[in-house]
Amino acid sequence: MSWLFAFALAALLLPSRPAIALSLAAGQLIMGLNFFFLEKLVKLFTHGGASSKGARRSVLPGRFFGIAALKLAPVYGGAFALIRTRSVLPAAFAAGLSIPLLTIVLKSILLAFGSGPSSWTRRATSTTAISGNAVKLAAFFFLIPLFAAILVMPGAAGAQTPGQPPHAAAQAAAPAHSESHEEGLPNWVVILNDYFPSSPVVHWMYENQYLVFGWIAGVAFLGFVSFAMRKPTMVPGQLQNALEWIIESMEDVCGGMLGKHLDRYFPYIMAVFFYILTANLIGIIPGFKSSTSTLDVTLALALITFAYVQFSGIRNLGLLGYIDHLAGSPRDVVGFAMLPVMVPVHVLGELVKPVSLSCRLFGNIFGEDTLIVVFVGVAALCLKASLVALAVPPMAGITALFMLLQTLTAIVQALIFSLLTTVYLYMMLPHESHESHEAHGHGDVAAAPHHGP
Amino acid sequence: MNFAATLGLALPIGIGLAAIGSGIGLGFMGRGAMEAMGRQPEALPKIQVAMIIGFGFIEALTIYAFVTMFFLQGKIG
Repeated sequence: MSWLFAFALAALLLPSRPAIALSLAAGQLIMGLNFFFLEKLVKLFTHGGASSKGARRSVLPGRFFGIAALKLAPVYGGAFALIRTRSVLPAAFAAGLSIPLLTIVLKSILLAFGSGPSSWTRRATSTTAISGNAVKLAAFFFLIPLFAAILVMPGAAGAQTPGQPPHAAAQAAAPAHSESHEEGLPNWVVILNDYFPSSPVVHWMYENQYLVFGWIAGVAFLGFVSFAMRKPTMVPGQLQNALEWIIESMEDVCGGMLGKHLDRYFPYIMAVFFYILTANLIGIIPGFKSSTSTLDVTLALALITFAYVQFSGIRNLGLLGYIDHLAGSPRDVVGFAMLPVMVPVHVLGELVKPVSLSCRLFGNIFGEDTLIVVFVGVAALCLKASLVALAVPPMAGITALFMLLQTLTAIVQALIFSLLTTVYLYMMLPHESHESHEAHGHGDVAAAPHHGP
Repeated sequence: MNFAATLGLALPIGIGLAAIGSGIGLGFMGRGAMEAMGRQPEALPKIQVAMIIGFGFIEALTIYAFVTMFFLQGKIG
């Protein structure tokens, strides 16, 4: 996975900063070679030890030195040559080197906490899996905002990203055109920035508000889960019951579509669901902001989902099967004749998925936020004109009403995002199981639209 | 008629048209789902899930218009 991630990163950076991207890719490649040879070496030792034949022993040193020399030459030689000739940027190169290491560290942490791929689904009976889930979720929660920040970086150099309103309201000396822009309600980061304008930490938080609030959402949810699941029992308490109800009903819905593949994909689906849900709900609290109300975060989520769906498609169908799926599975003459039309249509259909996912989430959450901002703004205008009786009671009522609506939107959007992820994954699965289900007349496969937007 | 004025007229009308289309679509969808639920109350959860997914697809169209408006709003001037 780390390869995919790093290459996606490099490809993202490629248009704006080619030097950094190339250095990243180079570091990545060298670390990959390093691990490849390291794996060979370790396998040599363990296999030799396992078989423990005398004849094998004598072969071992020769092979060992051969592979070691092979490893040393391109890996360290290549790295030094690259750095010496100054053809790479050191920082980006180091980042490229560290991404696989980071992945391995994360993976070992997950393994240390004893979490398997299906640990989400056995939470009630096996209590040890809970902490592993927490770590997995934590890794996910912290990666998403980071990824979003990377997406922001190329845009921030040029024009201002549309997802970031200029926050002119917070600054006293705002330019005159600020009235016509959308202004977010001042959250506590903005207020903090007003009081401590010189502190670099506060300034960094002000610049990366969505990152901060994304982290807050993650920490809040993790805190909630670890609190609710601190002593999981067979007869669940209130909070545990609520969580288990959510997870079990999602399990029913997703299991109807994914069938026996559920265990593999369910952790990802639930991680997405809970992250979006928490991030959405946090925006309702005054002084906080939904990290999903910027296109950067939702695009990061949608791109990760897109990469995951395509990756699982290749893994499930095989490369040839995947290409066959993209070509619309031609089986007869008409199918092959339609090939030049069907391939672009299918490829476009795949590419539109992340756009529609991210725009839907962003538009809904941002729209709700804007609605509340507008009504609060009207109330503020009335207050300024000292029309207190007109301002406060009806506006408070309307705002409360829309906050109720916002809660509904938050839940529904999280549900839609994760269900669409499920549908996309389902469309990438081999369809034999689905057809056999129908042939047996079970009909327990939930109706899933075959044609996405 | 200059570009900004055209944009200023077209964006709200576009959103309204998208909303009309989405509303009709949502109406059809909701009617179908309600009839199905009334006919087969035991299939309620499955119908609801399919309905919500469909709502998501339909609603996305208005959201696209909204996002487009939001991107182009700065150019009204």
